[in-house]
Amino acid sequence: MSSLARRCCAEMLGTGLLVYFGAGAAAMTLMIAAGTDPATPFNIGIGALGGLADWLAIGMAFAIVIAAAIYALGSVSGAHLNPAVSIALWATKRFPAGDTGAYIVSQLIGAAIGSLLFAASAGMDAVTIGGLGATAPFPGISYGQAILAEFIGTFLLMLVIMGVAVNSKAPPGFAGLVIGLTVGGIITTTGNIAGASLNTARTFGPYLGDWLLGGNNFWVNFPIYVIGPILGAVAAAFLYDYLTG
Amino acid sequence: MKCYICAQMGKSTDAVAICIICGMGTCMEHTIRREVDVWEGGYPFPAKKLPKKIPRMLCPDCNASYKEG
Repeated sequence: MSSLARRCCAEMLGTGLLVYFGAGAAAMTLMIAAGTDPATPFNIGIGALGGLADWLAIGMAFAIVIAAAIYALGSVSGAHLNPAVSIALWATKRFPAGDTGAYIVSQLIGAAIGSLLFAASAGMDAVTIGGLGATAPFPGISYGQAILAEFIGTFLLMLVIMGVAVNSKAPPGFAGLVIGLTVGGIITTTGNIAGASLNTARTFGPYLGDWLLGGNNFWVNFPIYVIGPILGAVAAAFLYDYLTG
Repeated sequence: MKCYICAQMGKSTDAVAICIICGMGTCMEHTIRREVDVWEGGYPFPAKKLPKKIPRMLCPDCNASYKEG
């Protein structure tokens, strides 16, 4: 097994790629849609160009980069790319506590680097218009509803990870593709509720980038993306163990 | 079973192994034993190399191909 330092580098790299390409796709959609008249109060730019197809496009960007990162880095670090996944594997005694802490720090740093690199690539419009693809509850969505949507989305994601990757009876080779597409599907359906982050690091990177580069301050929403994803992933892992026990 | 390579050279030698890749019977002289690494894990866990290796019996041609990757 690679050393912890190398595995942490892999987690940093994978999460950085996820945020650059995934959250970057959300920022880019907002930049392209800038100036269009919103047709409904739910529309903040994403959805203005093609309705739900905008979310499908963002979901596919996430799906592809997650699959790529899992296939590229899965054997090095396990490619969790998500603190909620690391915590759920730790909570079910599948992953050591020390490694879990190191992985989470690496994922957060990687996400921040990914976001800052996207701002450096796309320019300040990515911050002021695109918000670096930060997630937040959409108009009319309460704090509690946002946490529930993140809980349910991450619950499904972790359930699929348990079924196609952790379960040794699962057919090998499909995990990256299936998990990527699952994230893409969840984003398509629940993106317009609270952004469908499903991942504390994915939200942390754009929040930090926006805050450092003079964009919006979204930190008041951060607990949504800590509580919802972590509880959802842990609940799914325990439920899976109960169902297969 | 006889050794295929020896048979090509007009000799009759009893085979002691079968190449795991091509199935050729080989005598002691033409059998190559390789120790292959075994890995455990992979997504969502880091893969780790197990201390134990798996023996593989190969003929000279398959061994050469194996070495080239």
